[in-house]
Amino acid sequence: MKLAVPILIVLALVPVVASTYQTQLLTYGLTLAIAALGFNLLLGYTGLLSFGHSAYFGAGAYAVALMMRYLGVSSMELFLLGGIVCSAALAALFGVVCVRHTRIFFAILTLALSQVLWTLAYKFFWITGGTDGLRVPFSKLTLLGGLIGFPGADAFARFISFYYYYVLVVFCVCTALMWLIVHSPFGKTLQAIRDNETRARFLGVRIWRYRWLAFLVSGIFTGLAGTLWVPLNGLTTPDVLYWPQSGKIVFFAVLGGFRNFSGPIVGAVLFNYLEVYAIALTEYWQITLGAILIILVTFLPAGIVGTAQRLSAKFK
Amino acid sequence: MDKELLQERRGFLKQFGATLGAAGLGAAGVGTAHAAAKPKGNIPDRPVKVGHTTFLTGPAELLGGPGQRGHVLAQEEINAQGGLLGKRKIETIFADEAAGTDGNVKELRRMKLSENIELFTGVISSGNTPALGPVAEELRVLTLFNDGCTDFLFDKAVPNPKYTFRVTNIQSADGVTAAIGAATHWPKVRRIASLQPDYSYGRNVFEHFVLALGKLLPGIEVVSESWPKLGTTDFTSHITKILSTKPDLLIAGVWGGDYVAFYKQALRYGLFDKMKVATTLAFGGYPHAIGKDHPEGVLAGVHANYHFLYPSGDRWPVNKSFVERYHKRWKEYPSFESDGAYTALYLYKQAVEKANQLVGGWPDDEAIIAMLEGTGIDAPAGYLYLRADNHQGYKDAVTGLSKNLPGYDFPVWDSASIVSIPIRSITAPPNWPKPGQGHNESTAAADWIKKTWPAAGKA
Repeated sequence: MKLAVPILIVLALVPVVASTYQTQLLTYGLTLAIAALGFNLLLGYTGLLSFGHSAYFGAGAYAVALMMRYLGVSSMELFLLGGIVCSAALAALFGVVCVRHTRIFFAILTLALSQVLWTLAYKFFWITGGTDGLRVPFSKLTLLGGLIGFPGADAFARFISFYYYYVLVVFCVCTALMWLIVHSPFGKTLQAIRDNETRARFLGVRIWRYRWLAFLVSGIFTGLAGTLWVPLNGLTTPDVLYWPQSGKIVFFAVLGGFRNFSGPIVGAVLFNYLEVYAIALTEYWQITLGAILIILVTFLPAGIVGTAQRLSAKFK
Repeated sequence: MDKELLQERRGFLKQFGATLGAAGLGAAGVGTAHAAAKPKGNIPDRPVKVGHTTFLTGPAELLGGPGQRGHVLAQEEINAQGGLLGKRKIETIFADEAAGTDGNVKELRRMKLSENIELFTGVISSGNTPALGPVAEELRVLTLFNDGCTDFLFDKAVPNPKYTFRVTNIQSADGVTAAIGAATHWPKVRRIASLQPDYSYGRNVFEHFVLALGKLLPGIEVVSESWPKLGTTDFTSHITKILSTKPDLLIAGVWGGDYVAFYKQALRYGLFDKMKVATTLAFGGYPHAIGKDHPEGVLAGVHANYHFLYPSGDRWPVNKSFVERYHKRWKEYPSFESDGAYTALYLYKQAVEKANQLVGGWPDDEAIIAMLEGTGIDAPAGYLYLRADNHQGYKDAVTGLSKNLPGYDFPVWDSASIVSIPIRSITAPPNWPKPGQGHNESTAAADWIKKTWPAAGKA
């Protein structure tokens, strides 16, 4: 917590000192961090490993694309609303099915359901564009109730500098909200369920309902991330619903450390850089990422943030 | 092929101005490395950075690898002459297209914003050009796509291109070329089965093949459709499904490593003995990717573009010398992607030189673009021109039947079977209405075929 204010100041200064390219890269990182925050409410705090979070990320992304294409919406605030409603509805529904199980059964169910969505986006190409996806050009987007738009050529740099702050604000709100959630009695109950399900039930906790609520909140956060991500990327394709996307979200948490509040945030931002520079530097980028994952799991099971904390505690 | 039949086929092809066999092309090539006029004005000597995204890994490397090698060959040749305008050497940043559409978008932004590339080339998948085209326009980076040839790019994704061009043929020509090839060689087929990768390319091939074949042959019927996902390695279920419907002809648009896996598995089921097989991309990878176990008499498409044995011999010296230089450099024969990537860099060189003669110094993008629009070049595959209205490259389409000839470790075309079709006969003319402008066909070409091609009479 002590670090929050200086970090925020640094983040606020990024577009001033960094290039457009670096700013947009960090914007990607921040949107992914919101997804990681949501994901970790399930893994880190409730003890449920979801392999299907691509579903909510994709639901947020496709909500924007479909609203733009078929309803002619251009306001980012309406997109956020649409993304939240869609991912919430989906998470509520999938949650009912999934949270009755734990461990491998839970993971497989989440995976299977997310792949149903992927198939729909893939096969219904006359609606979703199939593998071509749907375009969400930033030039058609407006922020803050239509106050700010980005028409004309060369608007990319302007878009990135505005959109960065937009994403940063949403990111801060999400982080604060998640902090409150995990430190509230609700959050503490989730942790109790994670640590000992039987005892929690003895205390009168209705486990099923708590898990379902955690699933819902988790899905909404991840959906919000997808919603913010799509104008940045310029289009959405079925790739965001495919299982490797879920794998990436798990990777964020493992990389940063899922037993930490800030671990997934750091993991998501870092993963984004890793992926971009691995692709840029070598054609063996898949091996590079795979090797990092193996090293992490073998030597740094607490993730980067967890290990850093342990080391700093040692030297104090 | 007996003489009478040959006469009849030639008559059939006349309506397209197309030719069968080794006839056709008679122009004398002037070569791409002709001596340029002396550059005007001051040329800086810093290198020109070029970005090239292509498949460096995975089953699509069969196409991406030759593309990369064609690009490198052109780069080395131009640099050996001192670089562009004799001063600026070309440096290329390569990136793996297998990183996926979103990864490619991020990488193009990095290339432009962080590495300051002046030209972007490459891109194989037609899933990727509609994503990267708009990004290139946003970033204002001059782009010469090698492939990714979907009609959708300039019909819809970038309807008014300024910075983006595409060197290779338009995709709808693939299906139409295969249809003309099939109708030429097998006029009796009626029951059609289809095996297409499940994305825009496969749907485009299927639609235009069936549309064109329906105009050429009376009473055709589609008896089975299979849509394997791109990257499929096990085609067993698709093969048994095709066999069960007893078609006369299979049209297959699967490509790269997918096609290799398919034909090897199909051999075990005797599929090639039970029906005629037409493909759009069987000879699309590097030539030695296909083994001598590949059956003869398959209509082996090359993406409607280029096979290193055509134009043959001394009739088009540009090709002969290109194949020799390519083989010397890489110890293998070029594919259509090699031709496309090689030609793209030379198109850029030619436009830069022309613009320099007009404005002096290093020309800005506006001047280079003006020189690219409507330009033509003697490419290894034949004469190629970039239309000004849609920035699309056009060159004559070609296909032929596979045959094992001594002297090659892989099947090549039977030279008597090669069908060459003037591109204007199978693509919508300039300014034909695009989808959404008075019609809702998937492409301008589909609308044009429906409205202007006469239907075949009852046999």
